[in-house]
Amino acid sequence: MIDEQKVKLMTKLALYEHTQGKEDFKVSEYYRKDYAGMHIFSSILWVTAGYVCVAVMIVLAGLDALMDSMSNSLMIMFLMIFVVGYLGTVVIYAVISSYIYNQKHKDARMRVKKYNHDLTRLLKWYEREKK
Amino acid sequence: MDGVFVIKGKLQEIYAQRSLVIDKAVQFVLALLTFYTINQNVGFMKAAASPAATLALAVICTFFPPIMTVLAATAVVLVHMYAVSIGTLAVTAVVFLVMYIFYFRLTPKMAVVVLLMPIAFAFKIPFAVPLAYALISAPVCMVAVACGTITYFMMEYVKKAAPGLSGSGLSGIMSEIPAYLKQVFQNKEMWITIVAFVIAFLVAYTLRRQSMNHAWKIAIAAGTIAYVSVNIAGDMALGVHTSYGMLGAGSAAAVVIGFVLELFFFAVDYTKSESLQYEDDEYYYYVKAVPKLSVAKPEKTVKRINGHRETEIMDTESVRNRRAARGDGRVEKDARLSGKRSHSESARHSSRTR
Repeated sequence: MIDEQKVKLMTKLALYEHTQGKEDFKVSEYYRKDYAGMHIFSSILWVTAGYVCVAVMIVLAGLDALMDSMSNSLMIMFLMIFVVGYLGTVVIYAVISSYIYNQKHKDARMRVKKYNHDLTRLLKWYEREKK
Repeated sequence: MDGVFVIKGKLQEIYAQRSLVIDKAVQFVLALLTFYTINQNVGFMKAAASPAATLALAVICTFFPPIMTVLAATAVVLVHMYAVSIGTLAVTAVVFLVMYIFYFRLTPKMAVVVLLMPIAFAFKIPFAVPLAYALISAPVCMVAVACGTITYFMMEYVKKAAPGLSGSGLSGIMSEIPAYLKQVFQNKEMWITIVAFVIAFLVAYTLRRQSMNHAWKIAIAAGTIAYVSVNIAGDMALGVHTSYGMLGAGSAAAVVIGFVLELFFFAVDYTKSESLQYEDDEYYYYVKAVPKLSVAKPEKTVKRINGHRETEIMDTESVRNRRAARGDGRVEKDARLSGKRSHSESARHSSRTR
């Protein structure tokens, strides 16, 4: 005899395993601090690359004007702007990444917890059937 | 108006029954429009711009998640840029990379907006996308809308200036890169459009979240007014040529799309709204409850005039048994029947003798 409740629970578990579960299991393998730290670090690397790209584009776009009015003081000023801009961008992205990945880990852990709870329920069901 | 809600209900029912097919159909149409728009604007590599390639790519992308369409569209744009020149390819690739690094890496789902923006521009309804996202999403979409607008203006520039961009040699590339960057990023029309989108988005988003009556309608109207006003102001202040006819028609179409979205996502009955006030130990609560609008589906009653009747199959055995049990009755009935027969026979006989 097919138990409707059990089928519903199994479907729910299988659906989770094939959709969000795939990523959630990977995420929940890490401690939250490790997971967020790893992604903040990779964000900083990406942002550095992106910032360099933007800076190069700006320099190329204004190359003519820059060459015409080049001086030591102007160079230092641009360098300062570049460094301060970089630090500001990195801090902003580190904060954003920290929030996003902490939240992501928290949500994933919660879903995995619920999945484990449902899995335990299913195991108990089987044990009861065996008896 | 009730008819519209009934249609809405039917559409929702159809979607619930065939969501998978409808989702895939929408994805296919989106992919097809994306590749078609790209090929129409910057289709410099003939092999990639052929209708067969467009259709094949759209079909392939339909079977993958939507992000695949975004990646394929990026690849197709880069292939066309390569056909123009190495410099154009380098700048476009770097711009896409910067977009990915600073935004889409964190919110990959928003990448679809970048596809929608050039399509909306191609159909002359660019404001429809920011308005729709202001109504149903969050301000984080503004960045995606801006990225989509930059992508469109980049393609537009390459479309117009492709013959002049095909510089050869290192010096040619070095001279075309600054020219391309300047033309795209110093394009006043692009910046006015982005500013108009951002302001209109913020106006529409802020107003639709208010608890006032008809918040969505007010948000749609105010957002559209803000968009048109900023465009006109930009036109006057910076001397950017804007076609007022297209601006008006595009805005009107966006308003219609906004109302359709309201019908599907925020259909409420303000005439039956209730304001409640209560308190607990820590707070006073002022609550406004607005009921959702739903129209009961008209029930169909089917009246059968010449309905097919089921033939009753009798249990012959039980009938026979019953008859056997009522033996007297049968005798009486038989006698009556035989009496009738004898009477008719005698009548027939008398008529014959006569």
